[in-house]
Formats: sequence, C-alpha cells, structure tokens
Amino acid sequence: MTTRLVAEDLFEGVDPMRLVGARCSGCHTVVFPRQDSCPRCADGAMSAHVLPVRGLVWSWTLQAFPPKPPYRPPAGGFQPYHVGYVDLGEVLVEARLEVPRREMRIGLPVRLTTMPAYHDEDGTEVLTFAFRPDPSPEEDR
Amino acid sequence: MTEGRPTTRARSDEVYVVGCGMHPFGRDDTVTGMAMAERAVREALADAGVGWEDIGYAAGGSDVSGKPDTLVGRLGLTGVPFVNVQNGCATGASTVLAVANALRAGEASLGLAVGFDKHERGAFNVSAARYGLGDWYAESGMMLTTQFFALKTQRYLHEHGVSERALAMVAARAFRNGAQHPMAWRRKPLTEQEILDSPEVSPPLTQYMFCSPGQGAAALVLALGNRAFDLCERPVRLASLALRTRRFGSFEVFSPWLPPGPHRSPSVDAAEAVFRRADLRPADVRVAQLQDTDSGSELIHLAETGLCDHGEQEELLAAGDTDATGRIPVNTDGGCLAGGEPVGASGLRQFHEVVRQLQGRAPGAQVPGAPRVGFTHVYGAPGISACAVLTV
Repeated sequence: MTTRLVAEDLFEGVDPMRLVGARCSGCHTVVFPRQDSCPRCADGAMSAHVLPVRGLVWSWTLQAFPPKPPYRPPAGGFQPYHVGYVDLGEVLVEARLEVPRREMRIGLPVRLTTMPAYHDEDGTEVLTFAFRPDPSPEEDR
Repeated sequence: MTEGRPTTRARSDEVYVVGCGMHPFGRDDTVTGMAMAERAVREALADAGVGWEDIGYAAGGSDVSGKPDTLVGRLGLTGVPFVNVQNGCATGASTVLAVANALRAGEASLGLAVGFDKHERGAFNVSAARYGLGDWYAESGMMLTTQFFALKTQRYLHEHGVSERALAMVAARAFRNGAQHPMAWRRKPLTEQEILDSPEVSPPLTQYMFCSPGQGAAALVLALGNRAFDLCERPVRLASLALRTRRFGSFEVFSPWLPPGPHRSPSVDAAEAVFRRADLRPADVRVAQLQDTDSGSELIHLAETGLCDHGEQEELLAAGDTDATGRIPVNTDGGCLAGGEPVGASGLRQFHEVVRQLQGRAPGAQVPGAPRVGFTHVYGAPGISACAVLTV
C-alpha cells in the first residue's frame, strides 16, 4: 500500500520523522507550521526549525461528532478522536492525541507519532502527525 | 478618540441609542434573513418615533444572509449612505461603531445600525484557506470552533481550579433567563444535572453548554445628543465602544500552534479600553452581556473583562450574583446559549437587551433597582473583541 503525508512541508526526515516549524532570528519565537515572517517582531529572519518530539499534554478534548467537510474521515468511517495542545517547551503544537481516555490528563508525557488520517480515492493512505503516551519521558529530552 | 484617557465631550457630541428593535431569535423556515432585518429596522424606527427617511447614515452586517445595503429596496430609496460590515462576531459592534463615528463626524444627526443572519443547522464549517491555513488542518479534523472552546475551557478550569459544575451553572442561568424572554429561542429551563448529563460534545463541554447557530435580527437607532432628548424619554448614552484584534500570545481559534504563554485575549484589551474611556470601573456595571457561545467562554469572559477575578466565577455563580436579581446580572436575555448565534445579529441583540434594561423595560427578566451602567462584550474568530459601556 502506498502512503503519503497529509502535507509535505510539516515534516522533515523519514525515520525518525520530525515536525518542522520556523524560528525567528530576532526574538527566537518558534512557529508551526513554518512561515516567512515573524508574528511577533519585524526584525528577524525566519528559518526552518525542527521541533522536539517529546512534550506534555497542555490541554485536551474529544471530537465526539463527525465534522463537516473538508474533514476527511478514515477508511472505516468516523470514530470519536482526541485532540489537544502539546507543550514542547519552545512552542505548543495542536495535534491529534492517540491517548486512551483513561490515561488522558493535562501534564501527561507524550511523544510524536504518525497515524492514518484518511485514504485518497486511489487507495493511498494519508498520514498525519499525532502524539501518543511516552513510556520513557526522561530519555533524550 | 484619545487612547488612555477618559473621553469628555459636549452633550451635542455624545451618541445615544433612541430606539431598538428585534426579530425573535430561533429557527423559522418561513422567513428570510432580509425579512427579519426589515422587521427589526421598522421596530427600531417606530420605537424612536422616526421614519426611514429621517435616517442620515446607516450600517448593516450579516455573515451569510445577503448584502445589508440591499435593505434600502425594502425600506425606501432615500439615497442614504449605507455601509456594509462583515466582521465576524464583532459585526454588530462594528456597525454601531461606524454609525457613532459618522454621527460625531457630522455626517448626520440620526443613524441606524442593523444586523441579521440565518445559518444552516449544525456547527459552523469553515474553509482553511479563508483563515490562511493549509487544507491539512481541516482534513485531519482540527478546524472546529467547538474544539477550541473546549480546549480553552479545559485549560482554564485546570489553571484556576474551577469545577465542571460551574459550566452547568452558567447554562442553567441562561436557560432560566431565556424562559422568561419572549424573543429567546431556548425557552425551557434545564437543571444543572440535566446539562451535565446531556451528550458530551467536546469535554468538558456537553451539548447544552453550547449555543447553536440560528437566525435573528436586531437594529438600533442612534442620535446625537442634541436630538436624542427630543426623540426619546430615556435615551441611553453610548459612553464608549472599543474594538480590538489579537496581539501576540493570545490563545485563539484555529491555532495550529501557540507560544508558551502567558496568553492574553483581545477581550482584556477591549474591556480595559472601554472602561478607561468611560471613566468607569467594572464594579460599576449593573447589567452585562458576555459572549457565551458556550458555558466556558462566558466563565472566562467574566474574568477577562474584569467583572470578577480569575477563579472567582464558581463562587459568584453559586451565590446567584450573576442572576437578574444579583450583584452583576449577566446575559439577562439568556445570551447566545438561549438565543442561538446568528453571527450578524448577536452583537446588536446584546445592545437591545442592555438598552431595554437601562430604560427599565426589559422584555424578560428586569434587573431591579434601576441600573444605570450596562456593558456588552463580544469575542470571536480570528481573535477579535468589542466591548461597549452604556449609561443612563
């Protein structure tokens, strides 16, 4: 089965795959996804910046009802899913959370993963980024 | 207007509300957005005792239900300047701002602001491109306003030690007030337990803690001070009005990322500006309207606008302080929770309610003791807020 990423410019590398944002040379603000100008200061230049893979759940919720298009449900149909913000230190990133409800809490250590979001009409599996519980949160942070 | 200092003007330069009208909110498939707007305008004109031909300047707003200036075809082709406004949840406040500034600038002495909308059923769906975002954001299921409200509320409860029951108290009060208001949509009181037990939409928010997109219209007639007292027995002064967009670090809807914090909302900026300009304090407010797209939003806005401290809300709600008979009555008409949210009309509904409260002729639950200071607040995507202080 062929796969593709939901948007190429969100990612860098393959194994391990990382999220890539941008960082301002002037005020050090980190943004995601990357953009060409700094939302905070007019002085700096923005350059690609690879984000940490580990963080803590900053807030979370559940998407209980199927969203209207342009949302694209997975191959098996819509199932409720978690979303949240993950605190990566220099930036908080909004993401799908592959965390069971019983484990979900603000402050939960999580790490980057990918998950199938939907399939293209030709059967190509489309992957997006997500965070899942981190069994070893202290390693190589 | 001068930033940072109270505004002092001669009475002839002050702008007053001298008439208001409203089409009932809710859902009625037999009436169009334009027809609702026409009815609200005609009511406002009749309330002020003037005719459409007396209006020297007009502004109208609608998100999805047509070009407001085409209303001249229904109201009369008088040649009046008519500005169209499309400014999200701040649409209504922006029409009032446009008319008030035109009156002060000498364009006219009598003006009209109108807002209306009629939305499809269900949560708003929005295009990623319209917000400058990639398609991936919506396709992967993160572009929903309901998620944002839940995420912001979840974090707020955690940071400030507020319980989920406080969210139910907000909704229960809204439906209690709505039940008494002839123009509200949701007119059935619900208990806190019924609200907590309703289906989960996005935790901590349940179905009855969210408002629904709906339909409605509202209109105001505004006049300069030299005419206001001739036209109206009890004109309501627009003491100040401020519109703000977000600054760096605010936590907004449709944000794929946020800076680490602290997060400051445009509601804080708009509220500080109106109180400063009106030379009043939040503690002076005796009737308030706060954007309550969901229970969590109202809870947060209570503190962001300065009406209470962060974390103090639950105590306030439990004591009945935000009831119509309380210390700081909030959303006495049931707000968006009971009225639904027709985006273009919602802000002017707030003005309608506060004006009628200050005039002692509220359509629903009247705040006792002749309140003299009212406050309105809207907040919306992509990080805008407008606040107003009204006085008698």
